[in-house]
Amino acid sequence: MKKHGRFVAGLAAVGLVVAYLIWTGVSETMVYYLTPTELLAKVESDPSFREVGVKVSGKVVPGTYSRVEGQLLHRFQVQDLSDESKRFWVEYSDALPDTFNDEVEVVLEGRMGADGVFHATTLLTKCGSRYEAAPEDLTK
Amino acid sequence: MTTVGEFALWIALPLSAWGMVLGFLGGRSQRGDLVLSAERSVYAVSFLLTLASAGVIAAFLGDRFEYWYVASYSNRELETFYKVAGLWAGQRGSLLFWALLLSFFSGITVFQNRRKNREFMPYVVGVLQGIMLFFVVVLLFAGVNPFERLGFIPANGQGLNPQLQNYWMTIHPPTLYLGFTAFTIPFAFGMAALLNGRLDSRWIVLTRKWTLLSWLFLTVGIIFGMRWAYEELGWGGYWFWDPVENASLLPWLTATAFLHSIQIQENRGMLKVWNMSLVALTFLLTIFATFLTRSGLIESVHSFAQELRIAYIFLSFMGSILAASVVLIIYRLPKLQSENRIESFLSRESAFLFNNLILLGAAFAVLWGTLFPLVSEGVTGEKVSVGPPFFNKVNIPIGLVLLALAGIGPVIAWRRATRRNLKKNFLWPTVAAVLAMAVLWILGAHETTALLTWGIGVFVLTVTLVEFWKGTRARARIGGEGYATAFYHLVTRNRRRWGGYIVHVGIVMVFMGFAGAAYNVDIRQHIQPGDVVEVPSPFGHTYTLTYEGLSVNSGRGQRNLNWQWIALFQVEKNGKPLGTLTTEKRRYVTAPQLMTEVGIKSSIEEDLYLILSALDDPEGALRNDPAAQGIDLQALIKPLVGWIWYGGLIMAVGSLIALWPSAERRRAPLESRDEEAAVAGTAG
Repeated sequence: MKKHGRFVAGLAAVGLVVAYLIWTGVSETMVYYLTPTELLAKVESDPSFREVGVKVSGKVVPGTYSRVEGQLLHRFQVQDLSDESKRFWVEYSDALPDTFNDEVEVVLEGRMGADGVFHATTLLTKCGSRYEAAPEDLTK
Repeated sequence: MTTVGEFALWIALPLSAWGMVLGFLGGRSQRGDLVLSAERSVYAVSFLLTLASAGVIAAFLGDRFEYWYVASYSNRELETFYKVAGLWAGQRGSLLFWALLLSFFSGITVFQNRRKNREFMPYVVGVLQGIMLFFVVVLLFAGVNPFERLGFIPANGQGLNPQLQNYWMTIHPPTLYLGFTAFTIPFAFGMAALLNGRLDSRWIVLTRKWTLLSWLFLTVGIIFGMRWAYEELGWGGYWFWDPVENASLLPWLTATAFLHSIQIQENRGMLKVWNMSLVALTFLLTIFATFLTRSGLIESVHSFAQELRIAYIFLSFMGSILAASVVLIIYRLPKLQSENRIESFLSRESAFLFNNLILLGAAFAVLWGTLFPLVSEGVTGEKVSVGPPFFNKVNIPIGLVLLALAGIGPVIAWRRATRRNLKKNFLWPTVAAVLAMAVLWILGAHETTALLTWGIGVFVLTVTLVEFWKGTRARARIGGEGYATAFYHLVTRNRRRWGGYIVHVGIVMVFMGFAGAAYNVDIRQHIQPGDVVEVPSPFGHTYTLTYEGLSVNSGRGQRNLNWQWIALFQVEKNGKPLGTLTTEKRRYVTAPQLMTEVGIKSSIEEDLYLILSALDDPEGALRNDPAAQGIDLQALIKPLVGWIWYGGLIMAVGSLIALWPSAERRRAPLESRDEEAAVAGTAG
């Protein structure tokens, strides 16, 4: 019976370790997922928020995309899906996904710099790709 | 043909309902005629769904763009090969395809058991046809009917996403779907056991092969998907912890747990409730994976359709399955008592249990990370998300413990391990692991996680090889066989055990390959023809890439391909020419953007991976303007990445060996018992 107790303790320990890993994992790597409007408002009200990594989704403003040659840098503006006046510049230095174009919806991860430019570390395109076509968008 | 197919789908609706009701009724009333009728309905639905699928394929081949599904996923120029694959290119076809595969597997099950295991079959048929009914209902009433018409006939279809026009992408989804659907059979037998009250290991023994088959397809399907991402998505990665990738990993994790825990039930009569729960959980996760892939519930690079109706239907189905399983398990609790107890902390039972717990822990972590944005938004109203850093942080330690257990589990004694048993089995593997880590450290590998992975990998490999060696030697001595024959007989006489060990070797290789990512090299440069890029490998040598310039091709036979810009490189490794390597941008007729084709040079230790990130002036290059030859190049070195693919292959071979019907067991039962005794003698 003593052995059994030790066994149960072992199982509980595994459970606790996994829970601990999840807990710390979430608290250390969690990022806010914002719209451009929310991001701009947060940065305005609390300038220290600039140092916080965030995820932000918006739409590339047509015609703003340019490639800074020689520096492997992409620059473009992103605007809120529902409010076109809320927009900011983005700089991104990785290879763009093939589905990127200058009117696609993107999900960016990175920080809003002190210069008002969003420095993105990852970029995913949202609706430009068509793994699954969505011609009848029921939500909007 | 297409009209016939649509009609067939409608007839499948009442027939599967009929089969479900009669299966359950027949099981309760023990009336053979009802059961027989239910079983025939399985064949009939199989036939009808074959017709329906043929109808969809015929619509693709005939360019019938009046159908929404065909218009959305095909065009006239699409190659025939991809038109046939159109059946599983999108949500609607995939759901039909899922149902089709399930109907085949159901048909095979009914046929195999037409004269045996009759106590299970009524309920098995009832459950299978119930699941089938669900899918037919979804297809017909959830707004995802592949036969839906547009009301007008477009001149041409929208074409298939060029990224899906890839060899791996045509076989990756069907393989995964085979894995998902095959697991329905163990689930159906588990539920049938709960219903008919025969709760010994019989249902597990009957479905062992199905579980293995499902696991094989899931494994291969996941690896294919990784390979596709690696070749086609053009960023050098193979796993992004994307919700859909996670969704395919979840049932794999729980199915792996199930494969291990059923061995405890078979050998020691324990864990009955646990196994029943695992089979239900895994089945639910296969449904969840299908649902997640094909609905827009969680943002993912895979899914964008926001179809809420189908979400509700799927969620209520999953809820009912969950409720039914829980109720049945509770109802049968008195009959699900363990026949034995765990005797020691240091025993194989205990190692297997920990393996199970850790696998479930990993599954929970993955599920939590995937659903976290939804949960958080629902609870706090703040939209937050976690990404790859979270999954890596949680799953790497879990994965390493799991890997170590793959070395411990197979050789630790059942019931109670003695100090002598532990020392005998683990001393040398531990020494080998420590030595390997020391050598790697001296050679310059200082990344802790990678080093640990390789060390544990060496531990598991040593344990496994020693087991093979002991078994072979024992056979060779006792039977007087040559070592090669002895080895062959060793494996073939107990395929499940030795096949399993081979799978362990494969998983070790895969993990070692993952760890190679700690030494990835990433070099970016803007270059003109004649420029030279040096790429240093972590193995000490250097690749020299000489950029020869761009050449422009108009579509090379592939009919949807418009233009190719091909950047050509001469590759040298430490001054020794290795030939040429190209990376391309492509323009397809159907997509406005340029698509990247990467260039990969593989060797056993690493891949050299070239990405044509951007062209300075694509239009200028089309005019052969010499000033428009500049490009952004990204050159990566992916150490050990090939081990993932080879490891996957070994895992597949191992599970095939375990699956293979053993003709010899019937021929020589005595002999194999001798062999077991011999092995036990050397191990004990």
